[in-house]
Amino acid sequence: MTTYTVYKEQLPGLFEKWSESYALYVPAKLREGFYDLVPWKRDLEIAWDFDVAYNSPKRFLFPPREALITFNRKTCEAEPVFEAPPQILFGVHPYDVKAINQLDQLLETGSPDQNYVRRRAATVVMGYEPLTVSPTAFWASVGAASAAHGYDLYWTKIGPAAFTVEVGSARGEELLSMCGPLVPSTAGDKEGARRAKARVLFKARHNGLRYNWEETPRLLSKSWDSPLWRRYSQMCLACGSCNLVCPTCYCFDIREEADDQLEEGVRYREWDGCMLESFAKVAGNHNFRPKAQDRYRHRYFRKGKYIYDKIGELGCVGCGRCVRACTAGIANPLKVFNELWEETAHEH
Amino acid sequence: MAKPKIAFFDFAGCEGDQLQIANLEERLLDILGHVEVVSFREVATGHSDDYDVAFVEGSITRPEDEIRLKEIRKNAKVLVALGACAAIGGINCLKNFLAENVYREEVYGGQARWFSTYAARPLKSVVKVDAEIPGCPIDPTEFARITKELLLGRSPWIPDFPVCVECKQAGNVCRYEMGRMCLGIITRAGCKAACVSQGAHCWGCRGLVPGANLDAARIVMDRPGTSRKAIQDLLRFFLGDTGAAL
Repeated sequence: MTTYTVYKEQLPGLFEKWSESYALYVPAKLREGFYDLVPWKRDLEIAWDFDVAYNSPKRFLFPPREALITFNRKTCEAEPVFEAPPQILFGVHPYDVKAINQLDQLLETGSPDQNYVRRRAATVVMGYEPLTVSPTAFWASVGAASAAHGYDLYWTKIGPAAFTVEVGSARGEELLSMCGPLVPSTAGDKEGARRAKARVLFKARHNGLRYNWEETPRLLSKSWDSPLWRRYSQMCLACGSCNLVCPTCYCFDIREEADDQLEEGVRYREWDGCMLESFAKVAGNHNFRPKAQDRYRHRYFRKGKYIYDKIGELGCVGCGRCVRACTAGIANPLKVFNELWEETAHEH
Repeated sequence: MAKPKIAFFDFAGCEGDQLQIANLEERLLDILGHVEVVSFREVATGHSDDYDVAFVEGSITRPEDEIRLKEIRKNAKVLVALGACAAIGGINCLKNFLAENVYREEVYGGQARWFSTYAARPLKSVVKVDAEIPGCPIDPTEFARITKELLLGRSPWIPDFPVCVECKQAGNVCRYEMGRMCLGIITRAGCKAACVSQGAHCWGCRGLVPGANLDAARIVMDRPGTSRKAIQDLLRFFLGDTGAAL
């Protein structure tokens, strides 16, 4: 694919143009040490060196609460509800692009999730090479340091005021060319991008799995009865924070509410999480994962094995958000997988 | 089918929950169109003891309250606890941590012996409660939803997970990551993390989430820079009648 070189001074013009027909989100500082993708507005300072967006990009594709159908109680008729606002996510780190790719695979396979599919189609993903690494991140060791696809454009900052922009789709190229002709990157610029990537990869190595991530499913198969699950889950508050901040968790619950005339109603879905006590509660009040220990283990099996068994990748992209979000300090795939590796050391 | 008759009652409390219902304004007219209100002293005059659903606000703070509440229970098919005071005892239970002579003197001064009073408690300590709409104050949209669920014959649902869920849905920066305290980790959600979203922290007004891990919460709250007195005060503020308060 083509790579162009774009200069910082061109950005305000592009952002202005894009925001005419898209909701545009860019990385900005919320407070010291906290960054997020926020709606772009003129004169907003872009946090080029953000380490991680506080909230994962899944909320743009799979909002915390979303209407699915409206229905009429009298006529028993129902209409689907689809909302898919055109939007541009500018500044998505590669591990988050990988997370989106994973959601695409899981939600578009089998019975496609129409609400997700439509939002995804209306969403332009502009990847961005990180300059810094969050202290809790370990994406470099789980195969999530770069995304092969899933972006419309991929931006790499190669100097104080210059970027290389790799084209991932025709839509991306069209958006990039909205403010005049494009300059293909020189060999030197492309080399600059390679070096930028190498620099951040070097920084990312501070934290990582002590083994090849491909071993994780095999490791977990041997760890079902590990004492680790009980040890950590004793502190579990069952608050679901690890699920909710996870860029690849996509479980939801479905509820309904009638309008005040009790004639029509709406069925909506809301984020749910397997760490919540009632997640696995079914008819008859039976709970097939009643203990924190069962739920805690399930999450790691989900991330390290069940997703792998489906798509050949870990369900964890190493963003480190759950590590930050867990007030009890127990949500930590890196620590858990490394400790299980140590525990089973005599077997490998 | 005849419209169900509903009535509102209050015990020790500020009647702020009934005010929240009145604040529904136009929506209130639609919702109340499905019922016959026989008693709602904050909004209308008149009273009758013939009702199906009783919404009861406030906590029980005197022996004679029990007699009145049991009478309401006898008349009502469905009894709904309205607000923190009724559902979990709420801030009235702060006095339970003081000696009786101290709070009597504080509240009634020289006239203390004219008044009867005892440890504050939620409705469920005295009678069977069929549904709770917790919160201080209640969220009027939750009142509307639960009332509609009762009207439709569904079992009324309130969230059974902690405030953290709604806080993450709202995208707030966690108070603990900011070095602050917060009771969201053990408090029942349903408020849409209102206090945190406005920059404060969770006070626990909706009561403990079922299965709250209090041992873990105490360890999480007990961090350098946080005084144990502050933790105790926060845990007693709304949760005085629960196992959370020490």
